Amino acid sequence: MATTLRDVRPPALTETPPPLPHAPARRPFRDNPRLILLGILVLLVALVAMVTLADRAPDFNPNFLTEVLLYALSVADLTMLLALGFVLARNIVKLLVERRHGLPFSRFRAKLVGAMLGLTIIPALLVLLVGSELIRSSMQKWVSQPADALLTSARQIAHEYYREREDEVVQHAGAIARAVPPSLVRDGAADAIRRTLEAHASAGPGRKVEVYRLTPESTPVLLASVQPAAGGTEPHPPGEVLASRVIRGSGNTAHEPLAGGGELVQAGALIVEPGSNLPVGVVVASEQVTGAVATETRNVIAAYQSYTRSLVLRRPLQGMYLSLFVMMTLMILVSATWMGLYLAKRITRPVQMLAQGAREIGAGHLDHRIEPETRDEFGSLIEAFNSMAGEVAAGQRTLERSRLDLERKNLELEERRRYIETVLERIATGVVSIGADGRIQTVNGAALRLLDVDRSIVGTAAEQVFAREDLQALGGLVRQAYAGSGHAANEVTMARDGRELHLASAATALQREDGNVEGAVLVFDDVTPLIRTQRVAAWRDVARRLAHEIKNPLTPIQLCAERMQRHFTTAPPAARELVDECTSTIVGEVESLKGLVDEFAHFARMPAPKAVPEDLHLMLTDALALYNGLFHNIRIERRFDESLPPVRIDIEQLRRVVINLVDNAVEALGGGSAPAHTANGGPTIMVETRHDPAQGVARILVADNGPGISAADRDKLFMPYYSTKRRGSGLGLAIVRRIIVEHGGSIEVHDNQPKGTRFVIELPL
Amino acid sequence: MLKRALACATLLLAIQVFVHAAQAIQVTPLVRDGRVYVSFRLSDAFDNEEIRAAIHSGMTITFVYDVELRRAAAVWLDRTLESSTVSAGVRYDNLARRYQVTLSADGRLESSRTLEREDLARESLTRFDRLDLFSSARLEPNAEYYVRVRARTTPRNTAFVWPWQGTDVAGLAKFTFLR
Repeated sequence: MATTLRDVRPPALTETPPPLPHAPARRPFRDNPRLILLGILVLLVALVAMVTLADRAPDFNPNFLTEVLLYALSVADLTMLLALGFVLARNIVKLLVERRHGLPFSRFRAKLVGAMLGLTIIPALLVLLVGSELIRSSMQKWVSQPADALLTSARQIAHEYYREREDEVVQHAGAIARAVPPSLVRDGAADAIRRTLEAHASAGPGRKVEVYRLTPESTPVLLASVQPAAGGTEPHPPGEVLASRVIRGSGNTAHEPLAGGGELVQAGALIVEPGSNLPVGVVVASEQVTGAVATETRNVIAAYQSYTRSLVLRRPLQGMYLSLFVMMTLMILVSATWMGLYLAKRITRPVQMLAQGAREIGAGHLDHRIEPETRDEFGSLIEAFNSMAGEVAAGQRTLERSRLDLERKNLELEERRRYIETVLERIATGVVSIGADGRIQTVNGAALRLLDVDRSIVGTAAEQVFAREDLQALGGLVRQAYAGSGHAANEVTMARDGRELHLASAATALQREDGNVEGAVLVFDDVTPLIRTQRVAAWRDVARRLAHEIKNPLTPIQLCAERMQRHFTTAPPAARELVDECTSTIVGEVESLKGLVDEFAHFARMPAPKAVPEDLHLMLTDALALYNGLFHNIRIERRFDESLPPVRIDIEQLRRVVINLVDNAVEALGGGSAPAHTANGGPTIMVETRHDPAQGVARILVADNGPGISAADRDKLFMPYYSTKRRGSGLGLAIVRRIIVEHGGSIEVHDNQPKGTRFVIELPL
Repeated sequence: MLKRALACATLLLAIQVFVHAAQAIQVTPLVRDGRVYVSFRLSDAFDNEEIRAAIHSGMTITFVYDVELRRAAAVWLDRTLESSTVSAGVRYDNLARRYQVTLSADGRLESSRTLEREDLARESLTRFDRLDLFSSARLEPNAEYYVRVRARTTPRNTAFVWPWQGTDVAGLAKFTFLR
């Protein structure tokens, strides 16, 4: 892309369409030397034509001069005047438009054109005025009194000379007419007449004499003709025409110029009957007035006529000269205007192109180049501009590459940030970052869940967030990190929905290299299941040791008691009764202890589940079938999700879980003494399954509408040896939880709505 | 004979001729025998010194008369029914002091005469009697027409600045065509 004059357009105008790709750019007239030379040649030809025209104007046919030439010159003058007006008006309009659009150099161009016009219009008008006055005065001087008098006198002399010669011929013709007998004419005696004519030939040397006879129709017929040998340089034309005129009485003389110079003078005379005066014939005498006098006579007449013609055509000639003068003046003005515009363009165009190029570069079109049109200083300037544009383009390309690199790295960073953010969002560890201003900057989903807050805490002061009662321990941890070595860790226990939540927490102050703290990050992990597992493991160890330590002495105790009972079979009845009662008690309690120990042992040595895909609904149906007909007042309802796929379970262990939970529910509802159903409902156990494809779990819900479990007992419910029942071992729900945990699931207890307890088991699919 | 004379008299009376005294050309149309005859006379032609000088300079001076038969229109331009151009050229021989007068109509040479007297030459150039120029076949009965004659001379003695200035002289005469 290169700037040419066509590119230099006012800014903010409509975008000019790009030139056709293969269309050769047409150079404007002012840039085409051939056209300029042609224009100059046309001007020179026009000037030569005008000078020639002015020189030969007096010789032109007057009709051509006044009917054609004068009109043509006036039309040419008007055309040039219109052209000048058009050029000036166009440039004035352009100037106004360019000034309105703030195009540079418009004022300079206007000034230059104005200066050129001013420099030429005043001299041109002065020359026009002086020249026209000169023409007018010189035309006036054409009327010269002496010349006028001289030519008039000369014409008079010439006329008198001609009249004299004509009179002589007239007299000669009359003399012959009188000498020729009318009878000869009437009789047509040509020979006799010719002899008469030859006899009078001496009276008019060089004259031709013809005698015509009148016919009855008054038409002249030639009878005889005499022409001396030395009668002239050219043959005489016949005088029949003059004879006719003489007969008609419309003149008796005629003359006409001779081709070789001189004048032919003819005169006629009637031949009449002496008595009746009736014409019978006509005599025509012709004489060639030749020689130096005749020639000079004609020259005098020609000079006179030329002189008078010049006077007559003075106004048209003056008009023509003035018209030529005006034309030259207009040509000068048009040329000056055009030259002013040309110079202004030549001067301002490179600068305008540079300005336009700078705008293009500024607009980001760094490949824009300006086509140098000259090899002068402007050309060097344009080359320097193009060089600068090239360097700017190269720098821009480097910058662009750097920018692309940065952009790519930013994208990578952004990707990494999103990845870390995703990881943070997905991990179970809660992360909270605190900025240098003490406000929370980020908080991940696990933190929201564990701290039971929402995302509105972002931007809130950490002190304010951690001022909540259950979070004060975490706040203290952060303060320790700020105050201490920059790191503080502790296990924080807090209550959440009536349950204990154990968080392994660590706070780290973020220190820059200069030692300034720019914030802190608080990390905490829910270790509640781990704590529980540890507790269960500890209980299992205790149970195993307890079973081992208790079970061993039980058998000797039982055997001893049985031996005592057998030994006292022969004792007195009172003693035997006492011994029997005591030993029976001992044996019964030992049996009871054995059962308890067996249960402990079972809890401690429970085998790992052998999970295989099973139909959960089938297992539930089998398990619930055990209660058919057992408790008439308790309704056991089923609500199974038919979309539930097979679940990997140890069917025997899961059956035990379900039976345990249903047993607990039945006991909570009163067992066999549960109240009967009424219109408002009655004791109901709901066993429900749900399929949660989003989380990939299957849920088993066992709910009752019994009295429910208090919040204080709810957390201890799954602990071994904790039982709200008077005769329970406290291992049932502990075993249930262990089975569920070993299946990879979880079990939680909630309040049932509107009343009762609801156990929710989640098993992975 | 009497009837014919009466008809002619009636026809002549019916023709309303308007010749303005101030006009340079007096025009007289006459409709007879299916033809429109036009007589006109250019006044004061030879009283113009410029014309006389031009004639005596030996140039051929032509008096061109454009004769038009027209009908006036009320709301539009008048309509030209027929037109003819009559030319009378004169060339003065300064040696013999004679005028050679040539008459032509629509380019046809009608006559050529040599006259010695200026008054006769002027008469020949400026006075035309009963020129048979137009046919009355296209004229509508009882309609009003007029004949306009415009005269000019060639070469024109015109000046610079605006050669189109009106140097022509004209005259017209209205008449009602009665049949």
